[in-house]
Amino acid sequence: MPFNSIDFAIFLPIVFILYWFITTKNLKIQNLLIVAASYVFYGWWDWRFLSLILFSTIVDYTVGLELLKKRDQAKRRILLCTSILVNLGLLGFFKYYNFFLDNFVTAFSFWGTEIRANSLNIILPVGISFYTFQTLSYTIDVYKRKLDPTKNFIAFSAFVSFFPQLVAGPIERATNLLPQFYAKRIFDYNKVIDGLKQILWGLFKKLVIADNCAEYANLIFNNSTDYPGSTLLLGALFFSFQIYCDFSGYSDIAIGTSRLFGFDLMRNFSFPYFSRDIAEFWRRWHISLSTWFRDYLYIPLGGSRGGIGMKIRNTFIIFIVSGFWHGANWTFIIWGALNALYFLPLLLLKKNRENFDIVAKGKYLPTIKEFFGIGITFSLTVMAWIFFRAENITHAIYILSKIFSKSLITIPYFSGWEIALTTILLVIFFTAVEWIGREGQYAISNIGLNWPRPIRWMYYSFIIFLIGLFMQTKETPFIYFQF
Amino acid sequence: MKTFINSILLFIPFSTVMYILLLIVWGDCVSKQLKTNLNYKIGSYGHMHSRLRNIETEKDIDILFLGSSRAYRGFDPRIFEQYGLHTFNLGSGSQTPLQTEILLKRYLDKLNPSFIVYEVHPETFTSDGVESSLDIIANDKIDRDMIGLALRQNHIKTYNNLIYGLYRDFFKKDISYKEEIIKDDDTYIPGGFVEKKIKYYDYVKYKKTSEWKFNQKQFDALDNIIFLLKQHNTPFIFVQVPSTQAKYKWYSNNNDFDHKIKKLGDYYNFNEIIRLDNKLHFFDSRHLNQDGVKIFDTKLLEILLKKGSSTPRQTKTK
Repeated sequence: MPFNSIDFAIFLPIVFILYWFITTKNLKIQNLLIVAASYVFYGWWDWRFLSLILFSTIVDYTVGLELLKKRDQAKRRILLCTSILVNLGLLGFFKYYNFFLDNFVTAFSFWGTEIRANSLNIILPVGISFYTFQTLSYTIDVYKRKLDPTKNFIAFSAFVSFFPQLVAGPIERATNLLPQFYAKRIFDYNKVIDGLKQILWGLFKKLVIADNCAEYANLIFNNSTDYPGSTLLLGALFFSFQIYCDFSGYSDIAIGTSRLFGFDLMRNFSFPYFSRDIAEFWRRWHISLSTWFRDYLYIPLGGSRGGIGMKIRNTFIIFIVSGFWHGANWTFIIWGALNALYFLPLLLLKKNRENFDIVAKGKYLPTIKEFFGIGITFSLTVMAWIFFRAENITHAIYILSKIFSKSLITIPYFSGWEIALTTILLVIFFTAVEWIGREGQYAISNIGLNWPRPIRWMYYSFIIFLIGLFMQTKETPFIYFQF
Repeated sequence: MKTFINSILLFIPFSTVMYILLLIVWGDCVSKQLKTNLNYKIGSYGHMHSRLRNIETEKDIDILFLGSSRAYRGFDPRIFEQYGLHTFNLGSGSQTPLQTEILLKRYLDKLNPSFIVYEVHPETFTSDGVESSLDIIANDKIDRDMIGLALRQNHIKTYNNLIYGLYRDFFKKDISYKEEIIKDDDTYIPGGFVEKKIKYYDYVKYKKTSEWKFNQKQFDALDNIIFLLKQHNTPFIFVQVPSTQAKYKWYSNNNDFDHKIKKLGDYYNFNEIIRLDNKLHFFDSRHLNQDGVKIFDTKLLEILLKKGSSTPRQTKTK
């Protein structure tokens, strides 16, 4: 059930009313309602895949309890490996089976050996990459004794399947989310209102900015041979805003929805396009995944300790795995590797931990140095997004070669460009609001807090109006559902 | 919790009023490019405004034509007039059965036709019908049926235009509007037809084939139309106006559509009945030019005469 559907608009108030009015006195029943609602939410796509979530839940719940009982380190390691194998095995089968098979066949063909292998017609279960990583974090933390395993199966099921973040994150840590299922939730007016505001902003990002940008990004990328470099660059810019607003919009709706039920999820985006260097960008983009890889892959590999060779190896591993997490395609791997290349100079020159604060905090405009930093980082990111969006590597290289050709110095054109001007104006408006609100948790969180109520309500109504007037009417699925 | 419920109960009407006010101000003051989901188009492409003003003077006609642009560009009342038949063309841009149903409810009693020729095409049965609804909202009155249709379509564009249209109706904003008879290459002909200045289609061959994907809502609306006509005791036939053969054959499941329509009544698919030239008889891939219209209407008349359905005011037994 997508957040941008009528079904969800009906589903959410029903669950909200049941949650706060019917089940509020009994925590167990309230958690059970969350599990039931989450299974309905997920089953709306394809009920058959509910069995996968249930299977993962049972495996990790059991492994957690067994880890508590076992003192022997070898046995504990076997239990951990079981959980990792089951979870990554499912992920590997559904997401990567055909990729590995095709590449295996291609590799052997290259050496002159013909192999006959049939690809399977596998449907990728929505959100499998997200909930797999979430449950893995639980088992790993229990194994490392950072977390006591839960004996409450309903709470654990609710943690694994919590519907606001089930299909596209944020990928929560058990240490943050699971304890929230043990505690009694008290209705907090300010939290709920804040949640509604965040949902509103998320919807604006998705329906107005992302979906409108998608229209032109798809048009330009799908017909790239027809256009000059200037248009292709515009297409890459449209895609950059599409992917940011699509994914961060989803995260805003997820976090906002959780707040309606009294839960606090981790932040997933922190104005990444205002980053002054690539290291800062990666601290601000898809934070829940970046920190997951940092904690469960990068640090166990040795992190930035050790010699230069080790640092380079670890950086490449984390970025390439991150790219591969997005999908079984070489374009994602190159996208990851390219980001590693961007990141390495900062790491080697020990400049990767410079920009932790909010850019131009307390000021209207950035300094010239900050401005160039933001510009260069954004340009590098846009270039990397071309690999992310392209059909294959050849396609990406073709687009880049056109962008870096004389045809860049032409006026961009494509059919319907007059209408696209509206989208460009909306993107400018959106960027301005993000800049003004960059010190908050999300762009509009702090705007208007001290205004009189009627003015504040007029401001929210204006955002609703903009959604109604400019939303793309073709229902476009969230990009990250495919991951 | 009480504060929250009070706030929500206050905010919903507040934001609704704000939305309506903003929509009205925006609709009146802002340029067309900045009104993506508010394309209120009075006197739009297709002369719907003129057609609906024309209808006010019509009654007791012999044949009523219904359908999309293929209808208002395909059935020329002047050709039927030569045979003593008084006809009216109530076709409109992208009209789907959802809108035909509304138009029939409004005008069937007034026009009291002896016979109905309903232009059907697979394309209209794949559509959500929003564009045509906007056309009718802007050019005709907004009544309970139209509001019902907006709810059935459940589309933001229909809602926005409905609200804005209600405001314009209430303040009689469009009362003095007069649509031009000639717009670019189109001339409105009394009786609902729109004649295109003669043009020939520079036709293209389609390489891949495609498939129609039908919208069940449109077939449900067609069932309602048939029920309405039977209740009104008005005989009818379904007609598919010819497209270029290249365009027609581009779709692999035309037969499925023919099969569905044949089950519902007499049906004539003119793509199979007459052979027209892709270049000489069309001005684009889907619409006949005036030369094509003459051939098509003559053939249709021949069929109607054979069928005995087109003698002036004879067939209907009320």
